[in-house]
Amino acid sequence: MDTSNDLKGVWVFGDYRNYFQNRVTLQLIAKARDLADKLNTKVIALALGDRVHQWAMEYVAHGVDIVLAAEHPDLKSYQVETYCSVVAPWVEAFQPQIFLAGATSFGREFFPRLAKRLHTGLSADCVALEVDTETGLLLQTTPGFGGELLAEIVTPDHRPQMATVHPGVFQERPHNSEAVGRILYPDVDVVPETRVKLIRSKRQQTRQIKLEEAPVVVVGGRGLGSREQFESLFELAELLEGEVGATRPVIGSGWTEKERLLGQTGKTVKPKLLVSIGASGAVQYTTGILGSETIVAINRDPQAPIFNMADLGLVGDANTLLPLLIEALRKRI
Amino acid sequence: MVGFTESRVSAHHNYLVNDRLTPGFVVGNPNSDNGFFFLADSLLPGQDTPLISTRLVNAKGDTLLELYLNNIAANPAGCTNQSLPRGFRILDSSSEPLLEVLTQDFPMGHLTRIKARLFDEHGDLRIGPLGESIQVQGEAKLILDAPFIFNS
Repeated sequence: MDTSNDLKGVWVFGDYRNYFQNRVTLQLIAKARDLADKLNTKVIALALGDRVHQWAMEYVAHGVDIVLAAEHPDLKSYQVETYCSVVAPWVEAFQPQIFLAGATSFGREFFPRLAKRLHTGLSADCVALEVDTETGLLLQTTPGFGGELLAEIVTPDHRPQMATVHPGVFQERPHNSEAVGRILYPDVDVVPETRVKLIRSKRQQTRQIKLEEAPVVVVGGRGLGSREQFESLFELAELLEGEVGATRPVIGSGWTEKERLLGQTGKTVKPKLLVSIGASGAVQYTTGILGSETIVAINRDPQAPIFNMADLGLVGDANTLLPLLIEALRKRI
Repeated sequence: MVGFTESRVSAHHNYLVNDRLTPGFVVGNPNSDNGFFFLADSLLPGQDTPLISTRLVNAKGDTLLELYLNNIAANPAGCTNQSLPRGFRILDSSSEPLLEVLTQDFPMGHLTRIKARLFDEHGDLRIGPLGESIQVQGEAKLILDAPFIFNS
């Protein structure tokens, strides 16, 4: 086995801190598997922390060939400086072609710093990744210019080709209990001191919002006009046994919590049914709903871009149609 | 250059040895008629109980206990097999623990940790404590990808 050569493949940063961070890692492993097969190379996942055995096993079950594992008490908390100091020498030593991470709060802080240190580029918040069959380069699709267009980015001159990807963009592979992989333990004798000292951490107590798992998502946009109107979406979502999402202007107006944000800077969903109400359909929003099976849109503007992707469109005032819709559903249930 | 050590990892079940994951390992020769050996066998998908076979000996080479796939096969020294939640413990005749095997269950897999201090027939320490697990000394095969095949 030529380990050095094998490690030049597609790397995925393992972010396993909670359910959603772990899901995006598994989703990226699935995409990395697809890319690596096209490039005839290996998938390598990084598992750093104070106890990483479980995650090493899970990553192998989901399609990883090699796990790079580091266990150290100082890696328990996700500190960007510490993680950069550990991972950057690995990248420099093993020279992966591609390096992916979830666009989680940590990934968005960690990857730009790592890319800067490695003198390479980074495409943030990608919504698609493919391999150019002629050049072998990674085609990184990301919303650009404020979300007005989707830009396809390549990194021809520097390595690795780095990208962050939203949770929910890719589908994870099924768990394969029969899989066996290789696990490498690089030397991590001393974890460099960080300028940030973690005194204590406490998980924020918030209502659980499981947008990515919901089979039905009702999304409200600025067209609803007020917080009160937006809150009526919760009744509709409850009748449909779904969750409520929001566009950026709604979050900006403080009508609901930011955990409900969909799109470029928020979550990506793939429900069976998505009901979009009072949202025009700007690209920065629609990138988060592209995978929906059926989209029903309500908007007063017949020219609104949301109708270009909707399976069923209703032109009308959301505040008139919404109570009618709720009433009709109540009668049927 | 970054140095590293390498092992194998099963998606389903592993042992922790020398601070490394491994699907299975063997110290000594389980097919020999005498002398110390210790086998932590590789499990097939669906199996969630580690399979331990061992011959424990004293410094004269006398057999203290033979364990075959977790069951006592010979017990001249009067050892006791104590059942634990997700594991077992072997005690000698004076109730001192010789060997402890405990499995941790994850949502989609299992990890077994072993605690032991075992010597071979020459009085050399072959398996000793290391943190939460064990360190293997001397000649051993630290990676078993498939179940060990016994001669008989």
